[in-house]
Amino acid sequence: MVEVGDKVIGYSTDPGVRNKGASGGLVTAILAAALEKGLVEEVVVLKHINEYEAIPIITSDVEDVLASAGSMHTVPVNLAKYAIGKNVAMPGKPCDIRGVIEQAKRNEVNIDNTYLIGLNCGGTMYPVQTREMLINMYDIDPEDVTGENIEKGNLIFRTKSGEEKGISIDELEEAGYGRRLSCRYCDVKIPVNADLACGNWGVIGELTGNATFCEVMNEKGVRLLENAIDAGYVEIEPASDKAITIREKVNNVMLSMGEKWSEKVFTEIPDGERTQYYMEQFADCINCGACKEICPVCTCGEDSKCTMYHNLEDNYRMSMFHMVRLMHLSDSCIGCGQCTDVCPVDIPLTTIFRRFADKSQKKYNYKAGMTLERPPFLEVMPR
Amino acid sequence: MKEMIYQTICPGCGIGCGLYIRKNAEGKLSIDHMKSSPVNLGKLCRFGMKLPYYYAKENNAVNQVNASNADVETAIKTAVEILKDADSSSTALLSVGNTTNEEQMAFTKLAATLSTVVQTGVSSECLNMPEASLAEIEKAKRIVLFIDPYAQYPLIVRRLLTAKKNGASIVAVGTQPLNLADETLDLKPGQYDELKLDRESLIIADMHPNSDIKLAKNILVLAQKTGAKIQFMRSFMNSFGTGLSVNQENKMFGLAELVEDIELGNIRTLVVLDSDPIELMPDNEAAIEALKKLDKLIVISSRSSPVTELANIVIATEPVYSKAGTFLNAEGKLLKNSGTGKAGVDALSLLNAGIGGKAFTYDEMNYLVLKAIEAQKENRSVAAECAASDNGISSPKVLKGKYELKYLYNPFMWFDQKDDNDFVLLNRNTVRKLGLRKGGYVNMKSDRGELKMRFRVEALPDGLVLTAKKLPVATGTSTIISMERC
Repeated sequence: MVEVGDKVIGYSTDPGVRNKGASGGLVTAILAAALEKGLVEEVVVLKHINEYEAIPIITSDVEDVLASAGSMHTVPVNLAKYAIGKNVAMPGKPCDIRGVIEQAKRNEVNIDNTYLIGLNCGGTMYPVQTREMLINMYDIDPEDVTGENIEKGNLIFRTKSGEEKGISIDELEEAGYGRRLSCRYCDVKIPVNADLACGNWGVIGELTGNATFCEVMNEKGVRLLENAIDAGYVEIEPASDKAITIREKVNNVMLSMGEKWSEKVFTEIPDGERTQYYMEQFADCINCGACKEICPVCTCGEDSKCTMYHNLEDNYRMSMFHMVRLMHLSDSCIGCGQCTDVCPVDIPLTTIFRRFADKSQKKYNYKAGMTLERPPFLEVMPR
Repeated sequence: MKEMIYQTICPGCGIGCGLYIRKNAEGKLSIDHMKSSPVNLGKLCRFGMKLPYYYAKENNAVNQVNASNADVETAIKTAVEILKDADSSSTALLSVGNTTNEEQMAFTKLAATLSTVVQTGVSSECLNMPEASLAEIEKAKRIVLFIDPYAQYPLIVRRLLTAKKNGASIVAVGTQPLNLADETLDLKPGQYDELKLDRESLIIADMHPNSDIKLAKNILVLAQKTGAKIQFMRSFMNSFGTGLSVNQENKMFGLAELVEDIELGNIRTLVVLDSDPIELMPDNEAAIEALKKLDKLIVISSRSSPVTELANIVIATEPVYSKAGTFLNAEGKLLKNSGTGKAGVDALSLLNAGIGGKAFTYDEMNYLVLKAIEAQKENRSVAAECAASDNGISSPKVLKGKYELKYLYNPFMWFDQKDDNDFVLLNRNTVRKLGLRKGGYVNMKSDRGELKMRFRVEALPDGLVLTAKKLPVATGTSTIISMERC
């Protein structure tokens, strides 16, 4: 009997899945059970292409789930939009889950039949930069890598020869590598906004590397886990107090690293210089629209406020497109970094949007994508 | 049907941006960013973002014989009959680089059987290979731009901005001020010494069917004289791939020369491979009139476009994203599609066998492509040679009260794709002089007639009007017009 609030350690009962899937294959087994037992029609997973590339697929084939990539730090995609209009189960980083919740607020996702298995996330990295990092910092041929993991602040890579090499994330980031900027200052590391919050933080002793810590966040989480247990796909045991404490400790360390990055990135722009700041930031924009297209919280479609009042023929010093988006995202930006990733002229869009949204979100104590709570009217700052 | 996901490159220009095309069960297309692509890190420009429109089903070519739909066997059989009767001295083949290396290689085989060569739309006077990798842009100390990267090749903007952060000085040679450039200089070739280039400098220019060859030669001479590296950007996804099968001894004509030969009656049969002379030539109307003079026009294409309307035969191939094959991008990187479609190579094999040549397979063409790439690497040093003949650049004389309407080439323009570009750029003096009103229109007149257009004010030289879309009043890449308020 599973209950909301349970904290358990679990793994797949299938030895193949247990060995292949990350951390004992619990998430893979839950997804496979959800599909096979008809809890959902489809599952969103990452299809493995190589160690630095995977592509999201929506599948009803359990074989695709079993062959899926699991968690990959070098695949910084956001899965939220793949859940739109479907009855799916999906694993996701906190920002994937936040995207789905924002979509649900805008009636694009039916949250009642969308099952969200959150995965702890210390951050993701760019695939091309990671290859470069492996050569320059690890002295490892990127083609030799068979797996990676973040443990105790170190980024560890395993190679074909069985060798493991870890370097501290601080050192890597000092050298210009490591996590994406938005991940560095992200303030949600354990996906408590999901139905199940899973990860390897708090898995200790002989189960290290072979099981997953899982917290049941709500009734849907209960259904997901019970479904998998009833189907005989997973086994669980209660997490020990020590495991719970360690998980919390790791989370706190990660959050405090995030806070430091936040202070470093979001330095105050003096009064009177803000307009200039925004104009300069957007000056190289080529109007590709990729930032809007990829945004996991945007549900407007082609005819939206930001595009309808924007023409290439306009002569404004700063385009209406960006001005409208700044306003629009002030109550919904989840800081996932996708807009920065795809910007062809490297505008640090996520930082710009977060900078704009942060002040009002903090004043209202509102964090987008965490619950279904309607956002306050952030366009007007509180007195 | 299950969702299909294709790994491919963008057909918008020669940079070769990697991406995924997703085709859902209903056939609806969408794009996905391929962040592991070393060329573009998953980033795409405006054209790349609009690829679902470019590749929309209604834009796919269909097999036709004399303007009626036909099956592919009939289309190929009829094309064979035409080619059997064609005189090789008056038959031309054109492919500018909008398809795979393997199809290009197969097209070359067909040309050889017809005792002719494949024209690529660029004169052999200035054939060249990539000299600098795109990553080298970021390391250059001084960069001279003979292009507008924002409009023409947006995916190098980020590399230029990185170069700038690394301390590079950037000079734009041209007429339109660029935000990323430290200065914009409107220089003539005789003044290029002012650019102060050296071995650590990089010149970025482009080469396409409507390039000014004299200007290109002068840029090459400038690079040779100063030791600066040069990166010629190309306008089509596989422009550099077309060079793989070009024999250095064969005379290659510019597209304008080819069209002139059609007008003069020297070319009676034209076979085009994913290349539309109507879209490519600056003047649609003139190109249509020229093509009407052909006895036979055979189009092998994945896209439906104006030339498929005029063709006697259309042999349809699958959309480029779903083809099996490779491409060579602007830096000479070999990029591969994940698709498996081989209809183009198969059709070319049947055509070749039908006219007395050998049949071939996709694998054979792929082998030849890889071999040609190896050979090209060995001969790299000779490929960029080009002698300057004179310093004169063909720029039209603009009389008082007249204006020069110039094309600002970009991917949408090359493929006549719809975009938010229904306006011209002109300067504030022109606006004042003509008494134009903000939000109003300007009336443009040429020998071709009149056109009412919206406008945007930019810091351009007096007398210059730029357009990012082909206009019916234009007769070339540069057209003298008059303008008035309307």
